[in-house]
Amino acid sequence: MKSRASAKALKSAVRDAPMRTGVATRSFVSACPPARRINVEDVNDFRRTRGDLVFSIFMVCVALFFFAFFFTQTGWEDRKLPANMARYWMDQFGVTAPEGRLSRLGRIIKQGWFAPLVCVCILVPAALWNLQWAWRAHAWRARFKQPTAVGHELLQWLRALEFVAWFVAYTLLVPVLGYLVATLILGTALPWRLGYRGLRWFGICFAASFAIVLVFRSGLQIRTPVNIWLYDQLPQGLETFMQVWF
Amino acid sequence: MEALWAGIDNLASWPVLAAILIGSVGGLAIGAVPGIGPAIAIAILLPATVFLDDLVSLVLLLGVYGSSMYGGAIPAILINTPGTPVNALTTYDGYAMTRRGEAARALSLAYAASFFGGCFSIILGLSALMLFGPYLRDLGALFGQRDIFMAAALGAVLLVAAHRKTMGIAALLFGLGFLIAIIGRQTTRQIDRYTFDIEYLYPGFNLIVVIVGIFAISQALFLLTGKDTDPPHARLKGGLLRGFGELNRFKPVALISAGYGTIMGIIPGVGEFVAQFFSYSTARAMSRDPGKFGRGAPDGLIASEASNNAVPAAAMVPLLALGVPGEALTAMMMVVFFDAGIKPGPDIFDNNPDFLFSLFFALLIINVLVVITLLISTRHIARIIYIPNRLLGAFILILAFVGVFSIRNSFTDCMFAAGFGFLGFILRRLDWPLVPIVLGLVLGSIMIEKLTAGSGQIKTVVDLVNRPVSGTLFVVILIVIGVTIFTSLRTRRFEH
Repeated sequence: MKSRASAKALKSAVRDAPMRTGVATRSFVSACPPARRINVEDVNDFRRTRGDLVFSIFMVCVALFFFAFFFTQTGWEDRKLPANMARYWMDQFGVTAPEGRLSRLGRIIKQGWFAPLVCVCILVPAALWNLQWAWRAHAWRARFKQPTAVGHELLQWLRALEFVAWFVAYTLLVPVLGYLVATLILGTALPWRLGYRGLRWFGICFAASFAIVLVFRSGLQIRTPVNIWLYDQLPQGLETFMQVWF
Repeated sequence: MEALWAGIDNLASWPVLAAILIGSVGGLAIGAVPGIGPAIAIAILLPATVFLDDLVSLVLLLGVYGSSMYGGAIPAILINTPGTPVNALTTYDGYAMTRRGEAARALSLAYAASFFGGCFSIILGLSALMLFGPYLRDLGALFGQRDIFMAAALGAVLLVAAHRKTMGIAALLFGLGFLIAIIGRQTTRQIDRYTFDIEYLYPGFNLIVVIVGIFAISQALFLLTGKDTDPPHARLKGGLLRGFGELNRFKPVALISAGYGTIMGIIPGVGEFVAQFFSYSTARAMSRDPGKFGRGAPDGLIASEASNNAVPAAAMVPLLALGVPGEALTAMMMVVFFDAGIKPGPDIFDNNPDFLFSLFFALLIINVLVVITLLISTRHIARIIYIPNRLLGAFILILAFVGVFSIRNSFTDCMFAAGFGFLGFILRRLDWPLVPIVLGLVLGSIMIEKLTAGSGQIKTVVDLVNRPVSGTLFVVILIVIGVTIFTSLRTRRFEH
């Protein structure tokens, strides 16, 4: 009897409970959780992702590279400094009384190596500081069994290199075919490569590329390469016209 | 008054008016496309400014800067995607209103708040110029080389401090930008710095090459390697004018937000994000129903839009008064000043006061023009949202070439720009901030230039801080560093 009664109670509880429907009837809640105040941290929200550690290591290498070449690439060899630097700085900060005339600090600041020294002094500690945080984030991910492999991220970087190659090819094509033709080729071929195919897309991309040339070259007369192989093959009048306007 | 009329007179020419029109309408369109911000547009336009008159160039860039945030509110409200990063908070309440079927009301309120914020800071700037103009002329005597050095140093410190969760990265990238700026032959002493006997590096990197690479090419690569989004189609019903009347009901919020935008815009390195944060938090605290925030509160939308649109005019203050840009866009404008041979700084009040009036009046015209354009053609501009991202990426790449090549007809420039673009792409992928590199480039150069120029007066370390302005700024730097260390330690303690 008891079990039958409890089953009945359970059934009625389920039947009478407020029905939970899906997303469709739930009122919209934006990305700002209403229960929480917005903190200044939300403005600069940042999470280290995969690849962060690799790039942080790379940045440390860059910083160390510039530090290593500081002594040969900044005029450091021809530096003019007081003989006893420790004493000089003590004199500067008034720890000791200068013996004779104190060499002007401005003389040191004016030397060529001073700015690179400031850069290296910012770059190297900041790179190491950042590496420490990147390493901590990596260790945290590893500890909580979150993905740490960087293969996917590196693949994305490599994918971007394909488009860098398109840009470089375009740059090399302009002196051969001219700004107009090279732009029309890139403006239609790159969208085709991206999947915007068919006559409609071709027309849109062709028109957009032509408009760019008209605005920047014909309108604003922005400088583009002068000696163009294709234009040299054209009759004199047409060659001049193309060189002036396209 | 003479300078005021001369300033207005400067604007009364066809090229300037055309630049205002193109800049403001173009900025609107650029802002409305998620994925292209004003920084990319300005980076691409920078090389074109070399061929234009200095006022025309600046007005064109100001048009893009001043109007992009208006445009950015459209996708933020209609499809929950901010057009420019500074419209992020607009999505919180704007999109919620759209979901409630109040898209037109939300847009109308956003336009009204933006217009109010923009005009508030411009009118404040113009009034300050008119009231204190005669005194500002003496500012040149008050600010020496060491003072401007200290102001730039304060900008650098504020920049790093403002990147609360990425301070190490911000410092690192600032240092990298600074280092890029000093590569080349030092002109006074003929010393090669990090040139490695490469002839191309003797004159140093052109700022525009680096900026186009870091901002435009990197964004193109980011879009090209990403996926096209399929934003939902939003219906726009109702008039767009009623928000201007409705703004009356939220006067205190609008005023406080515009005030925050103006103050934060003046402080170098802080900018729109922090202004929005303060405005939104204050509006929420002032609201009788704070639970509405994030669910379509009109005051939240007003706070966000009024504050970010008050920043452009205010951000011109440190740039013009001290020659110290506070954020990436004004840093790019600094390049135009360099090219035009105009030295922004305290002397500008004495030498070119009419120029200042011209810029502020141009901003005022831009705001009026943008609102008129939006009221007439929001429905057409809203269609821009649906341009596929990757297609945009392809055309940004094409435009970037024109930008880089036209500077000095150099293919090597294009190769280096591609390299900087790839670097910027990795930074974007990792969510590292790009602004510190550009500010490192510009502020670093200013710091070294001013320090070297003032070296004749620097006998001891004390001489760096013994002037009233430099001393005050140094104390502010120490306070900022102290507060940053304190808050970081406190946050870490709470997190543990």
